[in-house]
Amino acid sequence: MFAQIIAICIFATMFLLIILDKFERHYITLGSGALVLVLVFGVCMRSMSAIWETLNLGAFFQSTFWYGASEESTAGINWSTILFIAGMMIMVEGLGKAGFFRWLCLTLAKLVHYRTVPLLICFMSLSAFLSMFIDSITVVLFLATVTLELAQTMKFDPVPMILSEIFCANLGGAATMCGDPPNIIIGTSLGYTFFDFIENTGAVVAICFVFMLIYFTLCFRKELERAEHANVGPVTCPEPSTAITNKKAFLASAGVFLLAVVLLITHAQTELSVACIGVIVAILTLIVLGLTSGKKSVIEIIKGVDYKTLLFFIGLFVSVAGLEKTGVLNMIANFITSVSEGNIAVIVIVILWLSAITSAFVDNIPFAATMIPVIRAIAATEGMDIGVLAWALSLGTDLGGNATPIGASANVVGTSASAKGGYPIGWGRYCKYCVPATIIVMAVSTAYLFLRYL
Amino acid sequence: MKNQIIITLGREHGSGGHYIADMIAQELGIKLYDKDSIEKEIVSEGYSEEMIRKMDEKPVNFFASRRIGKYSNSLEVNVAEKTFAMLRDKAANGESFLIIGRCGDQVLKGNPNMLSIFICGNQQAKVGRVMEKKGLSAEDAIEEIKEVDRSRKSYHNYYCETKWGDARGYDMTVKSDVLGFEGTAKMLIAYIRSFMEQD
Repeated sequence: MFAQIIAICIFATMFLLIILDKFERHYITLGSGALVLVLVFGVCMRSMSAIWETLNLGAFFQSTFWYGASEESTAGINWSTILFIAGMMIMVEGLGKAGFFRWLCLTLAKLVHYRTVPLLICFMSLSAFLSMFIDSITVVLFLATVTLELAQTMKFDPVPMILSEIFCANLGGAATMCGDPPNIIIGTSLGYTFFDFIENTGAVVAICFVFMLIYFTLCFRKELERAEHANVGPVTCPEPSTAITNKKAFLASAGVFLLAVVLLITHAQTELSVACIGVIVAILTLIVLGLTSGKKSVIEIIKGVDYKTLLFFIGLFVSVAGLEKTGVLNMIANFITSVSEGNIAVIVIVILWLSAITSAFVDNIPFAATMIPVIRAIAATEGMDIGVLAWALSLGTDLGGNATPIGASANVVGTSASAKGGYPIGWGRYCKYCVPATIIVMAVSTAYLFLRYL
Repeated sequence: MKNQIIITLGREHGSGGHYIADMIAQELGIKLYDKDSIEKEIVSEGYSEEMIRKMDEKPVNFFASRRIGKYSNSLEVNVAEKTFAMLRDKAANGESFLIIGRCGDQVLKGNPNMLSIFICGNQQAKVGRVMEKKGLSAEDAIEEIKEVDRSRKSYHNYYCETKWGDARGYDMTVKSDVLGFEGTAKMLIAYIRSFMEQD
């Protein structure tokens, strides 16, 4: 009982400190993780095995961690997630440095002859597609930067386009296992593959995407067309080729990206784990960049890795293990089961909407990490398929985060990039368009879960 | 002898900081940056005067904002960063100026031509001044001082390494009611001139 209270206090303080933003969030989760190891496992439980299981270092020495049909992880640090994210970070750094994202954005803009409404549709599609494979922060950052640049030359308000890009990045991220951090954690924790996500969350995301194309086009079409018609005289936009700084590095990085996509799509068949894919992609990126751009570029890329996010994840996993091993998460699972009186439909609705509402206001990564053991316990108690709960959790955390400017990392980065570019986006303007859009996609997701699984 | 002088002046509400800053800037013939002039400097298509007025020197609302690395969705943070960029540009261009508040001491830290000053005051004197200036009751004046100072402190401490009003963070901290506003301004001008005479 005492261990439970301590674990809850540590976790609640961690969450509060993350919200208050007084300290960098990796310090908070690492501090919280250290307290869990010492106070909860060491002092209260006197369990060395709990510490060892939470650190989960043995995972590296298991062949299934790198290769095998199932990579379901136990409680504690989910090293698969850490390695995969680190590998993708290195690949994305390489792509960015070679000018790949900027080139892609400018090429699409040129293809639609710099017309605003087709550009809106193109950038929404690009945002959703890229976010299926790489993290949405990078996607939004590059798209917002190019949008601001084009807005300056073509004289239109970039905010509508940036809002649509942010929304579609989160939407695309929900479609696959590697699109959004909550999905990576859900996938590696519960042993799902890339295709499991595509078949389940991907299907509903495709429907939502069509709805959002229509919704955002209807919302912003008139405004964008008015700006386009107000433009007189020729507009000179940057050529896509100007984005490429080193052609060899560009081609090599694009090649590694394509390989990463193929490896992810086929990982159920090749049986390579996502951790293994992360390591392969990272090593290949460093090798090809070393050969095409020199050692200096390799060092720059390694330095550019967001190690703070990786440390944040490590601390977070330990903190969640504190709740799991003391039985707190089982209590939450029992509470949800008793509130819903064992009604599976109610449980799914609670998981979906609770995840969505919570993710609209707090970081969805700690929430998803906390909820995985909860849905595991619910599925075991009720004897139900964990899949439907996993998809409800994934859709809720990924899509709910769209509702507010602080709901997802991509929203923060997108609105901040816009503000830095001279177009601040307040809560009012953001929510005016994104709250109705979130309600639409959540309603579609609810209907989908009911029709397909219940 | 210095060719450029930058003065950053923090102040408690009701301490006469703005009045003293105005006298110093006039005497030295340098530009004074306060709420109105900053508003004019950073206003642009996206940043309306109304928005800047509302967000300038305001603390961050922690429950409505989030930071990812160097990115923040907070309008208060974005207006502050725009103001800081403006100050850095002006300093880099060799302009001499006096900036009231807005973390000037932190933003321009390390600039050899910068002097940081903090003006505080006796509570009674501050209450009297706010009552007279705004036509408030003593109770309301005390409340206003508390509120404004809390907001300035929160703003400063969010962006700065030093604590708002802590003498260790400034080159000079002075109580304006000891010598009066004119006397304080004269003393500070002499201090600034001595500083400017240094190499």
